[in-house]
Amino acid sequence: MSVVKLQQVSRAFPVGNKPIVALDKLDLTLEKGEFVVLRGASGSGKSTLLNLIGAMDDPDGGEVYIHDQALSTLSDRQKSKLRSRYIGFIFQSFNLIPVLTALENVQYPLSLQKVPNAQAKARAAEALEQVGLADFIHRRPNQLSGGQMQRVAIARAIVTKPDIILADEPTANLDSETSTQIMDLLGELNVQTGLTFLFATHHDFVLSRASRVLELKDGKIIKDDKLRGLTSVKTKAS
Amino acid sequence: MLKLKLALLNVLRNGRRSFITLLAIQFGVISLILMGGFFASMYEGMRENVIRSQLGHIQIYSEGFNQFGSQEPEQYLIDPDVLKQVVEQVEGLEQVALVTPRLNFTGLLTDGSKSLAVIVEGINPDKEALLSSAVRLTQGEDLFDEDLEGALIGDGLFNSLNLEIGQSLTLMATTADGSFDARDITATGAISTGTREVDNRFIRMNLKHAQELMYTQGVTRLVVLLNDTNQTETVMALLQAQFAEKGLALELRSWSDLADYYHEVVNLFDGIFTVVQFIVLVIVLLGIVNTMVMAVMERTPEIGTIRAMGATRFEIISLFVSEAFILGLIGSVLGVVFSILLAQGITASEIMMPTPPGSSQTYPIRIFTESDLLLKNALFGLAIAVISSIYPAVKASRMVITQALRFA
Repeated sequence: MSVVKLQQVSRAFPVGNKPIVALDKLDLTLEKGEFVVLRGASGSGKSTLLNLIGAMDDPDGGEVYIHDQALSTLSDRQKSKLRSRYIGFIFQSFNLIPVLTALENVQYPLSLQKVPNAQAKARAAEALEQVGLADFIHRRPNQLSGGQMQRVAIARAIVTKPDIILADEPTANLDSETSTQIMDLLGELNVQTGLTFLFATHHDFVLSRASRVLELKDGKIIKDDKLRGLTSVKTKAS
Repeated sequence: MLKLKLALLNVLRNGRRSFITLLAIQFGVISLILMGGFFASMYEGMRENVIRSQLGHIQIYSEGFNQFGSQEPEQYLIDPDVLKQVVEQVEGLEQVALVTPRLNFTGLLTDGSKSLAVIVEGINPDKEALLSSAVRLTQGEDLFDEDLEGALIGDGLFNSLNLEIGQSLTLMATTADGSFDARDITATGAISTGTREVDNRFIRMNLKHAQELMYTQGVTRLVVLLNDTNQTETVMALLQAQFAEKGLALELRSWSDLADYYHEVVNLFDGIFTVVQFIVLVIVLLGIVNTMVMAVMERTPEIGTIRAMGATRFEIISLFVSEAFILGLIGSVLGVVFSILLAQGITASEIMMPTPPGSSQTYPIRIFTESDLLLKNALFGLAIAVISSIYPAVKASRMVITQALRFA
């Protein structure tokens, strides 16, 4: 069952008087439960692809489908609802709200879905437990380490039970040991929940965990390797 | 719940900026309450002054007096029989403090060497002393019922004729039957009504003496003083109904119908207040918009993140408007509290204000803090905070998500 489908998607950005092509008539289908790693040099179009799939940007040509819903037919409000319901984001800089505690940060996407407060709190605590942060729920982001902040961000991404998680360089700001722990955690979530993951990354160690590796160059997929499935790994708080 | 908490935490996030915004809101609320309170006290002072120095709350005339009385005043005097009946009726109302007759005419006052045109009012001295409490005796003694020839001279007139207390003068006037007569009067005192133009031409004398001069037993009007100015309309309606029932050909005027100058001043000051309100609004609005725009700029990546998580544009707008609402609420409440304290302090200090235009008396500054004034301006502070947040909030909601996230 396809979660995401791209048909002949193009995107260019004007630089000076000349448009620079970020994606060039790209076709792609992501199936449920895939753990997809997106590789490529800077400027190869990784972030642009994530933005388009995340309904945060519009293609110049072609169509993006999430659950067979063409994004070009949706209003800004409908795209917001779609992001809230189907997509989770993990950012390179964690992007936690500094004034909220870990629990409240994870609870926030649920409040956008109008989930009752008590229920949202319970689900957020459960998600934090899932990422190994049960003892840190009342800490603010500035009281957490980089790895812990990224775990909170992961809990925030999974708490709404989305169909796909988009992660743009999620380990770029972490040391190698913490990066490994985060990837192990994501791998485990993939196995346990059947969530679809799409990562943009430079790190090669991620490849061993991927079920599929896509390589982008000049806005085109030059390599699409479907690998073996993931094995479950134990999660530890960093 | 969490959204409201986030708004509150965002308000507390940058204490200095929130403090500046609160100051701007308080400045607006305090300045408008103090100014509005000062104007309200001034209006009340002027109103009570015209009521208690000249007009009373209600005046009763013969029918047609207000339309034709200026040309033929002697034709529109209230007959003594009617007068007695009306006085009994009016005095029977519990809202009425007193009722007193007046006979008004114009005449010529001479001290032997100089003559001046004057406005004369024949009064019942004992009752008028209670009604005209705002008329101030500046020299000499008040008028008494027993002192038939005594007269109180407006202090402007008193000074311009260079009079002395006890000096004899001659007052000439056209009588009710159209002939010309004169009576001697004695300047027992000088008075100030608070209105300079009146004080330059005004004489008060004993009603009986004035009636003798005018060859009449009638009076021009009956002046009614009430216990409370707010009862004016009710008593007017009551008297009108009673007069109609008894077939009395009388007409009534309230102090408001007669106080043209008061209304002109009120309109002028209301206009000034509106202009000041607009200026304050612009100052406060720009101050708040500026700090809110800074908050939006600082929180660009956060806005991008929240939008990415699925917040709609409206939810971003409501987040910033909620923050402004909280600031507006705190600022307005503090503004009201400080306004009350300042108003009480200023009123207690009894600072004397300069003589207003057309007036001859100074008065201590007083600032009223009536609940409707406080509520109106608290709502103004709240509304202005919310209105100020709309532009920055809309700006935040229209951020391109991918660009906003780049600032993380």
